[in-house]
Amino acid sequence: MTAESPHSRNVSVKLENGLHLVPCSRIAELVRDFPGTVWIRREEQAVDAKSIFDLLTLQAPFGTVLTLEASGNGADHIIEGLAALFERNFELE
Amino acid sequence: MQTKPGIAVSPGVAIGQAFVLGVEDFRIPQRFVAVDAVDAEILRFRTALENVCHEIAENEKQASAKLGKQFGAIFAAHQQMARDPIVQGEVEALIRDKNFSPEFALSNVLRQYAQKLQNLGDKYKADRAIDLYDLEKRTLRHLLGERREELAHLTMPVIVLAHDLTPSETATLPRKYVLGFATEIGGYTSHTAILAGALEIPAVVAVGDIVANVSGGDTVILDGIHGRVIIDPDEETIAQYRDWERRAKTVAQRRVSYRALPSETKDETRIRLLSNIEFPEEADHCRELGADGIGLYRTEFLYLESNREQTEAEHLEAYQKVVQAFPDQPVVIRTLDLGSDKVPAAMPQFYPEGANPELGLRSIRLSLTDLTRFKTQLRAILRVAVLGDVQVMFPLISSLIELRQAKSTLHDVMEDLEEEGVAFNRAIRVGMMVEVPSVPLLA
Repeated sequence: MTAESPHSRNVSVKLENGLHLVPCSRIAELVRDFPGTVWIRREEQAVDAKSIFDLLTLQAPFGTVLTLEASGNGADHIIEGLAALFERNFELE
Repeated sequence: MQTKPGIAVSPGVAIGQAFVLGVEDFRIPQRFVAVDAVDAEILRFRTALENVCHEIAENEKQASAKLGKQFGAIFAAHQQMARDPIVQGEVEALIRDKNFSPEFALSNVLRQYAQKLQNLGDKYKADRAIDLYDLEKRTLRHLLGERREELAHLTMPVIVLAHDLTPSETATLPRKYVLGFATEIGGYTSHTAILAGALEIPAVVAVGDIVANVSGGDTVILDGIHGRVIIDPDEETIAQYRDWERRAKTVAQRRVSYRALPSETKDETRIRLLSNIEFPEEADHCRELGADGIGLYRTEFLYLESNREQTEAEHLEAYQKVVQAFPDQPVVIRTLDLGSDKVPAAMPQFYPEGANPELGLRSIRLSLTDLTRFKTQLRAILRVAVLGDVQVMFPLISSLIELRQAKSTLHDVMEDLEEEGVAFNRAIRVGMMVEVPSVPLLA
């Protein structure tokens, strides 16, 4: 595992109202200072997880499966952190 | 280019820059900056953004403490928005590559995103446009600081766009800088329609969501013929509208030639056409147009135009202007018809927050409570009545008692003037508005 290869993980949205403003902001907050890149994909669409505006354009209602992808030093940690957020429903519900 | 249909309530065509009237009126002072100012402007933008983030963080703390973490979380989201790298990148690119001013660049980028969200077809996301609007206002406030331009300080002609226009707002607009109005709500009897008609400028109402989609400084076409607002029109459309503008002027000129003709039906029944006015300056124009008198002079604007009380002399001066334009024809002056929707700055004590504007202390009821002001107006009306066929009309009368009280006050004023030896017309005709349902039932 070199520092350059992307790590990826599938997660599913368990929030009743889908990925709305506050969860998006928690994602952006988490990845903000990460030195590498983080993308979230849904089918053909890929959004930059550091941009709340980009995240907001994702249509991700309850049940949507998203793919998390990160590259750079510490990519595996950031993926873990993000997956945990989704798992814990962003501590909102 | 976006076309928004609405209701044309005042005819004409206007092409110009938009002035978007929000809760805080920020007019973007300039759209472009000089090439050598770019670095300084980017720095100014980044500083403003820093301050915005600190301010939002403060709001978040207070909101969480007072209202709970869920509420505070919204502000955290706003902070993320303010720091969004894509938005920052796009704004700075506009400043650097296209020489946009930070204000114009920010407004453009945020409104584009608001539009994107609205196009997702998801109501929740569409509603987030308000968060973007909030962020834009906040950031503009930091960017503009002392340089904030208020509505009253317009220095160039604009088309005013707003959710709705209150009488106070319209009364204080610098008329020579307003090309026309467009509002999100409203109808034929809206205040916007009445004022635009009086100013003879185009107005389109009931346009729906528009304030969130337009930046101050955007080019806008106001089509008061078909009832449309066109945002950011292309060259072809602009050319087409300039052509319509020309044609509308030609028609208007032809209409002028009809003025001198009498208003008669085919069987020669003479119909009297009188004008309604809001401002004394309109009287001369009404006479030129061939009006048979002033059917209704709405005196509210005397009160709304200024932040202080009008003296009897000021009332008299305004009324004189009108009567001098129609010395031999009827001039009906209606006394103050103010409600909570039209609050003059000089009378705040009568209007507690949250009062239902349709009920309560309005119009004649207000006048009968505030006798000093009522009598000032009545004195001026009685005095000007020596100059012509002046009639006084009381608004919103709902009972016989109210009418009697109003007439009794009028007689008191007559006695005062008599004692003081001031000339007035005792034979003035008195009337009232028949507008409250109880009145035709009592008649």
